[in-house]
Amino acid sequence: MFLIYCPFCGEREQSEFKAGGEAHIVRPKQPTELSDDEWAEYLFMRKNIKGVQFERWNHIHGCRKWFNMVRDTSNDEIKAVYKMGEKPPTK
Amino acid sequence: MLNYNQSLPEVKSYQDLQMKEVKPIMKLIIRGKKREFISAVGKSLNMLLPIEANTSTQSEKLTALWLSPDEWMIFSNDTLDESNNYYETQEILNNSISKVNLGAVIDVTDQFVMINLKGNRIYDLFQTGSPFNFNIFRNKKGSVAQTIISKIDVTIHNQDQNVANLFVRRSFSQHLFSWMNDAASRL
Repeated sequence: MFLIYCPFCGEREQSEFKAGGEAHIVRPKQPTELSDDEWAEYLFMRKNIKGVQFERWNHIHGCRKWFNMVRDTSNDEIKAVYKMGEKPPTK
Repeated sequence: MLNYNQSLPEVKSYQDLQMKEVKPIMKLIIRGKKREFISAVGKSLNMLLPIEANTSTQSEKLTALWLSPDEWMIFSNDTLDESNNYYETQEILNNSISKVNLGAVIDVTDQFVMINLKGNRIYDLFQTGSPFNFNIFRNKKGSVAQTIISKIDVTIHNQDQNVANLFVRRSFSQHLFSWMNDAASRL
């Protein structure tokens, strides 16, 4: 259990949030031209690294807004939180 | 004509704590992103929508709660006529918002149950089942928080010192009320 800073509501408990998977996955511009493998790669394959990861989160029991988070998965340290559409912080 | 069934059984009183359902109260959810939306609501209702997060504004007849950057709940300060389901405020907003495509107006009167809590142990009760930190909230009149109590989504409005309104979805209201009574009896 840890605290998450929602860019809209402020600091809230983690149980109010829902993780939404990896962030910044770009949809291919021409899906019909992709092979099945490439499409499956885009659709299903996700990084699951031990370390700093860019993720999407939703404040589902609060303002119900999506936002991005940079989190260290090994110790749950939150490096940065930023709104959808904003540029991710550089390393 | 609507059948205003009482969702919750009765008024419950404990030492320094009282809770009861208030009905019928008009409740509307309004959504919109444009600047013109906020000014149109302000003009037609003669009240400003709260822009700052977790706050509310109040006029003589209505209260507006901040729910998200593009979503507000408006509810009537007083109970309304039980004999019909016509709300003048909704009519005004439909004309100034929905019909000109500035935003959305949704009647959630029957979706949410409003529970009014009074007494100086309200926040002790909330703390037994909520992860939200009420320390600042309890001293700031007009604060709004959407959080969970006993795993149920609620919206809490700090109406005044030791007076709070709690909005919960109707289907969860009986369970939450029963849970809160149980928790209050053990405070």
